[in-house]
Formats: sequence, structure tokens, C-alpha cells
Amino acid sequence: MVDPIAGSDGRRKCDSVADAINRLLHNLIIKCARGEGVRNFYEVCVIGYGAQVAPGFSGPLAGRDLVPLSEVANSPARVEERLKQIDDGAGGVISKKVKFPVWFEPLAKGITPMGQALSLAQQILAGWVPQHQKSFPPIVINITDGEATDTGPVPQAEALCNMTTEDGNVLLFNCHISAQEVDPVVFPDTDAVLPDDFARTLFQVSSLLPNTLRDLARSENMNLGPQTRGFAFNADLVELIRFLDIGTRSSNLR
Amino acid sequence: MAPGDAGHGGPGAGVSEPAGMEPLVQVFWVPKLGNSEEEYEDACAYSLAARRFAVADGATESSFADRWARSLVQRYTAEPPLMPPARVPLPEWVTPLQHQWHAGVDWEALPWFAEEKARNGAYASLLGVNFIEPEPPAARFSLLNWFRRKPAVIPGLRWQAMAIGDSCLFHVRANQLLKSFPLATAAAFNDRPLLLGSNPARNQSVWGAVQLAEGDCQIGDLFLLVTDALGKWFLQSCEAGGRPWETLLALGTQAEFGAWVNKAREERTLKNDDTTLVLFAWQADAPGAPAPTPPS
Repeated sequence: MVDPIAGSDGRRKCDSVADAINRLLHNLIIKCARGEGVRNFYEVCVIGYGAQVAPGFSGPLAGRDLVPLSEVANSPARVEERLKQIDDGAGGVISKKVKFPVWFEPLAKGITPMGQALSLAQQILAGWVPQHQKSFPPIVINITDGEATDTGPVPQAEALCNMTTEDGNVLLFNCHISAQEVDPVVFPDTDAVLPDDFARTLFQVSSLLPNTLRDLARSENMNLGPQTRGFAFNADLVELIRFLDIGTRSSNLR
Repeated sequence: MAPGDAGHGGPGAGVSEPAGMEPLVQVFWVPKLGNSEEEYEDACAYSLAARRFAVADGATESSFADRWARSLVQRYTAEPPLMPPARVPLPEWVTPLQHQWHAGVDWEALPWFAEEKARNGAYASLLGVNFIEPEPPAARFSLLNWFRRKPAVIPGLRWQAMAIGDSCLFHVRANQLLKSFPLATAAAFNDRPLLLGSNPARNQSVWGAVQLAEGDCQIGDLFLLVTDALGKWFLQSCEAGGRPWETLLALGTQAEFGAWVNKAREERTLKNDDTTLVLFAWQADAPGAPAPTPPS
């Protein structure tokens, strides 16, 4: 997995959101990479919401909605080099240069039209779901740094999650990046630990983790109960990528 | 070898069969549905002369796992680790294969994501079984011991097996499952087995997890080496009171095996995964020897 990039203190929340999206894409690509290429186990769409609600890829994929993963891998807007702190194997920490591909740029904005964004996701998936009834249901990961400023997210989230494939309902996972000094929460099974009503609302509209994902989380030594929801507060959901099932993964890679 | 060809250790590769007995060997394989034959990442090899058989299952979530799995089974049949006479320790045994794998990657030509993935290494299960003659008796000749010796149709022939991961060996005698190794129940399979890696830094947890087993062998005994999808199906069938080996023995050709796999996948009794079966029964060509377990 690509770990959080060090030195993010003092950065804007929207930078953290963009980093979280880019790291999700990065990890998904590495997961599906094989030999010289990437297998198209997934199609990916990024929606940006702020001053406008629209497909959010930058660079060669600008304006596209669902893009096969191999095309995403080969078409970042740019590849940055960042310093990552790693264990030096002797009790210390050293900095190492790592490649950090960027597909999505930070959106500085004054409004948070989350309801519209979820509706756009629903429109895009309304075309995909009937054609892929045998597939695992689509996963929508909503990463936000603020409260919705439109009618969202509850009715739009419910409409989105009403769509189904033979394998279950569309899954909505939410990730709230906040400026509050609150310990990170990942995959909670209760909203009791959350600091405000908005975080609790996002928790309530987050899907329960299906058995398949919980089983894989268990094989990765992470015990999650049946009430666990796909939700994170002040943390990202990059961990989630490990639980996606594309076939045998060695437990040595834990 | 790529199963089905006359590769390492297979018939036509110049190996001779042991005098006095020969196993009947069949190899069947089918890639995961949706993948091409080139994307098949299981591997198997055998040597009749050396009486060694191996299967490996390259992990989907690793790079160049097909090449890694092939190198493991080929080396196993040429010189298995841990076994006499050399008893090469596994870390030492795997080192040249790790170098070979690393040298086989064109690192400069890889795009960023492929390089990052390949740096993690390739991973595969490994299951190997050897058939060995008995060790010469260490004690002096004892008439009592000779009198008490157990009757064996293949005098003293024994098997020894080693396993890392979830590829399985099934030993069937007289239409009963005698041994399931290393996993004994269908519930024991999961998608995150501990596997042998091409990256030396990732194998520390493997060395203590190597499974060993051994048993005796009689004429007519049936052995099946399978990768995990088929292993789980096999044990589920046994747990439901079935005799899955009868189903597999009835499949005489690769085409029949492929059709059966497709049907089982559609019925969701067999996981959609690369699927490999090496099946052999010992028989003697000596007059009067009993025949191997016949297909039903």
C-alpha cells in the first residue's frame, strides 16, 4: 500500500482530499498491475464537486467519466516525486523518493454540493448497472472536507444505494476529512465516537460492509463486526483497497 | 512446465519410468474464466524417473507469478528441498530461483506501476510429493522384525510431501480418502494464504509455516495434486459424503475436464480461478498385480 505522505501538516483540507483520491487510484492500480500492464478489473470515475459538479480527472482523461483502469494507469496528469519516510530497518527513519502520480487536482471552493455529486454518480451508474448484473456492485467513495451545502446527502445516497447487481446493492462509503482535532476513526460500527451531527449523518448513509469485504478484512487480521460501515473520519479509506477481491493475494504482503 | 506440453519431466521429455511399476499420470488445467491461456498462473511438473510431482499456484495479486510458479515446480522435480540425500534448506533452495526471477524482469522497460508492483515480488503456493524407496535397515537383521513386516503391494514405497500455501494433495485408497494435505477441511481455504515469494524480505514468516507429511503407498492408490479452487470443491464434496475422485477420474480428456470446470463454475460449486489437476495411480506391470482404481 502507499502510505500517507509525510509532511502534510499545515496543508489545506482540499489538498488532503486530493491526496486521498490520488492514493486510492494509485493503490487500486498497483493491486491490479500484472507483468507489464494493468488488468481491467475495474472502471473508475472521479467526480469533483465545488463550484461545479463534473467528472474530475485532470490531464488526458479530462471530461471522461468511467475509464478502464489500465487507461487510468497510463494517463496521469503528471507524476510527482515526493519524499516518503520509511523504516531504515535499524530502528530509524529515512526519507526516500517515491513516485506520486496525480489524476485529480485540489478543488478550492466555497460550496459543497454533495447531493448533486451523489446524483451525478447515480446517473453514471444507472447506465452501467443494468449491463453488469453479474458484477460485484459498484463502490462509491465520497471524500469530503465539509458539510453539504445543498439538500444532500441523505435522499441522494438512498437513491444511489437502491441500485443493485445480482451481487448486492451499490455500496456508498464516506470519508470525512475535518479540521477538528479528533482522533482518526476508520470502519466504525457505531456513531457514538463521532464529534458532530454531520459526521453522524455521513455514518448513517454509509453502507454496511458486505460479508465478502469483512471476510477479506479478517484474513488481513482486521476484525470487523456485522454493523461495521464503510466510513472514515479524519482518515482515508485506502485500506479498503486491500479488501477488494481480485484473486489470491499472499498474506506475506500484509 | 506449462501443463499439457511435454515440458520438464513430462512424458516425452526423455525421462524413463521405473522398472517394475509405473504411475498413470493425467494433467488437466483450465485458466480462470475471462483470462487467456497466456494469463494462466498455475504450474505443474513431474518426473517419472525421479518419482516427483509438484504443483504451484501463482498469486493473482503479484507480477510475473506465472514464471515464478513454473520455476518452483521445475526445480522441485529436479532437486526438491528438505528431502534426502542433500536435504537442502528451503531458504537456500529458493535463493537461485529468486535471482533468476529478478534477472528475468526488464526493469528499465516497465511503466511506473508495473515496476512498483514487481518490486513487491511474485508469490506462489508450492506443493511437492516424492516417492521414495525405504531407507536401508539401520538395525541388524532380525527374524522377528522380518516376520512382523507389514505387507505392502509396492514393497516399502513411501511418499513424502511438502506444502507452502493452499495447493492440496489427496491420497485415495480403496475408494476412501486416506489423506488430505496440507488442508483438511473446505473451511480452511481463504484468499490470503502464506505463499513463497521471489522477494527474500517477504519470506521470513514462511519458513516456520512449511507443512510436511508422509505416508505409505500401495498399488492402486490414487494421488491428486490440485490448486485451491479444485481443492476446496473436492473437500466440500467429501464433507457432503461424496467421492469427488470418481467425478475427476471419469474425465478422460482435457476437453472433458474443461467442460466439467465450466459447468461447475456456472453452478458456483467451483470458484472461478485457474484450476489444475495432476492425477496419478500407481500400478505394477508385473503379472498378477492388481489394477489401479478404475474410473467409475
